[in-house]
Amino acid sequence: MTFDPRPMDLLPALDYWLRTVGGIALIVLLTSLMSVGVSHRGAAIKLFGGESVGCLKDLISLSPRRVWAVAKLTFMEAYRRKALAVFVIFALLFMFAGWFMGGETGEITPDHVTVYVSFVLRTISWLTLPLVLVLSSFGIPEDIRLRSIHTVVTKPARRLEIVLGRVLGFSLVGTLVLGVMSVVGWLWIVRQIPSELLVCRVPVYGSLEFRDRSGNPAAAGVNTGDIWEFRSYIEGATKARAIWTFSNISERSLDSEGNLHLENEFLAFRSYKGDMKRSLLYDYQLINKKTGQSYTLPARPVNENRSAKDVVPRKLVDDAQKKEYDLIKDFVTDGKLTVEVSCIDREQYLGMARPDLFIRMPDLGFESGYFKAVLGIEILMVLVVLLAVTGSTFLKGPIAALLTAVILILGGKDCHEFMDQLVLGRTSATEGFRGGGFFESVYRIVTHMNPTTELPQNPAFTIMKYTDGFLTDFLWLDKQVIPRLEFFNMAEYVSKGFDVPFDSSLLPSLMILLGYFIPCVLLGYFALRIRELESK
Amino acid sequence: MSQSGATKESVIEIRNLSKVYRDFWGRPKVKALNALSLDVRRGEVFGLLGPNGSGKTTTLKLLLGLLFPTEGEIKILGKSAADVEKNEKIGYLPEESYLYRFLNAYETLDFYGRLFDMPASVRKERSEKLLDLVKLAPQARRRQLKEYSKGMTRRIGVAQALINDPDLVMLDEPTSGLDPLGNRDMKDLILDLKKQGKTVLMCSHLLADVQDVCDRIAILYGGELKVMGRVDELLKAQDETQILSSKLSPAAIEEVQAVLKKHGANVLKVDQPTANLEDLFLKTVQESRERPGHRTVKDGTAS
Repeated sequence: MTFDPRPMDLLPALDYWLRTVGGIALIVLLTSLMSVGVSHRGAAIKLFGGESVGCLKDLISLSPRRVWAVAKLTFMEAYRRKALAVFVIFALLFMFAGWFMGGETGEITPDHVTVYVSFVLRTISWLTLPLVLVLSSFGIPEDIRLRSIHTVVTKPARRLEIVLGRVLGFSLVGTLVLGVMSVVGWLWIVRQIPSELLVCRVPVYGSLEFRDRSGNPAAAGVNTGDIWEFRSYIEGATKARAIWTFSNISERSLDSEGNLHLENEFLAFRSYKGDMKRSLLYDYQLINKKTGQSYTLPARPVNENRSAKDVVPRKLVDDAQKKEYDLIKDFVTDGKLTVEVSCIDREQYLGMARPDLFIRMPDLGFESGYFKAVLGIEILMVLVVLLAVTGSTFLKGPIAALLTAVILILGGKDCHEFMDQLVLGRTSATEGFRGGGFFESVYRIVTHMNPTTELPQNPAFTIMKYTDGFLTDFLWLDKQVIPRLEFFNMAEYVSKGFDVPFDSSLLPSLMILLGYFIPCVLLGYFALRIRELESK
Repeated sequence: MSQSGATKESVIEIRNLSKVYRDFWGRPKVKALNALSLDVRRGEVFGLLGPNGSGKTTTLKLLLGLLFPTEGEIKILGKSAADVEKNEKIGYLPEESYLYRFLNAYETLDFYGRLFDMPASVRKERSEKLLDLVKLAPQARRRQLKEYSKGMTRRIGVAQALINDPDLVMLDEPTSGLDPLGNRDMKDLILDLKKQGKTVLMCSHLLADVQDVCDRIAILYGGELKVMGRVDELLKAQDETQILSSKLSPAAIEEVQAVLKKHGANVLKVDQPTANLEDLFLKTVQESRERPGHRTVKDGTAS
């Protein structure tokens, strides 16, 4: 699994969001105008204008008290209908989890920490998310089925307030469940795991570039035959280098004693056995690109499958040249620090990816990372509520629940990547899938035609290709509409002993939530406004 | 203002209102309402009558914006039916009291009060007042509505309809499911609302109830308006005369009949007037409260 947190580019994301939402809004507006035009002909403009004014009035006269009334009602409904019985399942899981998770010797190792923390956070997610999904999907449809909504919409409650109140109410239910479970889970972790193993490292990642064995820039290092291309390798005792550039480095990046902490997780690849009792060696070279100064730190052994911690003192003494350097003054320019890594052993290889070397800032308390991961679950939970409530404004409960579940499945990293490949398959010659789109693939399977064989040239196959193209365009649209949920998975950071980064996880999650919030609430509002609230 | 307390001002104006229910494919399924036109005037109690499926509830739901008209126009308190602002001055009691069954009486009224943006103190005061008005027993007020009888649910339904002190009250089958006492209370309440100058529009197929409280009625059948007018005028028998006197002896009755015959009258019926069953029931309950253990059996024995 790749673990490569990257900061979100906010401005391009905002630009993309505005264009996508604006485009969809324009299509909806034009379609509804055309449909009103067809059904009401001459009176269409007046009717459309009247409706638009009514909508604007609804938006302006939004009352927090009414929203809160619906939210409170929603919360009480869930509470009195015993939705909180989910705590019983949670309690049962935690009462007996220790039996199955402890090692045979009872000793807790860092690997156990990963398993324990993942277990707690996953359990919380898997209990909370289905609960809010079901509750939120059935709230409004049940209200319509039982006609209780008649007593609400015949009061001055706007449809928008009903949607917002429902979203807020179900979010509060989920928050209560999540809050209690996360505190219990945290207590369970700190009781099970020794405190020295519960760390929350704060990494500062840099950018990575490679030089090949001749010292020329290269897109990546050498592939040693691993089909997993996340890490690439530099060859030992050549000019091959992995060069990291860290930004925003200053005295604040040093600890109280003036040391810079580097931590790495390099992989060794031996092309011959060599001395198996000795680890491969690597070294760091600090470079000042402006002045050309450099300083090589003593060689260090690769710590296989474990992270290696290296301390770089602020005062660097070059015994050979009898010179002294100041780490910050001599090697940091414009806040940037460049570190070159080379492998020392001849014909051996050192594997690395961007997040494999980072500057380790002072650690935070474990609870800091843990509760940020809980916040990630909370944000995802609100997104689930939002999608389910929106779906429930125009679908019946079970269908709304199914739709939300499908969106969540498609929003997963693997599905998104697969959709990326399918969509790219049509536009990129190199990344393309063999065998064509849906209809072409079916044709090839049925006729046992090799995917590399060209299709015959005739109108039927041309139509088939265009139809496939249309379906791919539709998939492209789906891909834009389905949220990327990989950002919400913050458990991985905590279980690996990292803090949850704001710019590459919390911020994107919040932005995704906000990005969906506005169109979803508006869609829910219009869906309730244009439908007759009569149970059928 | 007329004798009934109604003014000429129309609170509800319906013009050529039609409603067609369609199936999944958009094909017409049922024409529930056909070119209905009527006005409801400020301060009157107006009854919409008709058998089941005649379009009464559909009309009410169209007025409230719960359904959209296929054709026609609705003005309610000077606004369109789709305008939410009109609801500020409307109270609505649905056919079944579709309330939230997991709330108790106070929570129910508090919830609906919030929807009118009322401050907490006003909500509290109004809730107490309305629960007293609808005579909901104090010990029942903290119980969830799912434990209520139909009559109790109806009472809390009325209370929620009046939470905003509305100008126009729409009641769908207000007396359905009520015992005779509740029925009487409901009718008294409607008359009381009328006294306060409020306009009441009610749907019902219980004709006696409508006759007791309504100033004007409209009778719908098959989605069409068949009869509309003042109740007293519609019910008046134009070619008959009724004389009511204190009890007469048989001889006096014969003498009166002779005089009537002399003037060419055809005497149709001479008997003692009877109270209606509702009056008898209310009297019995009242007596039972005052004299516990008393029993009257009309086969000649009493205890």
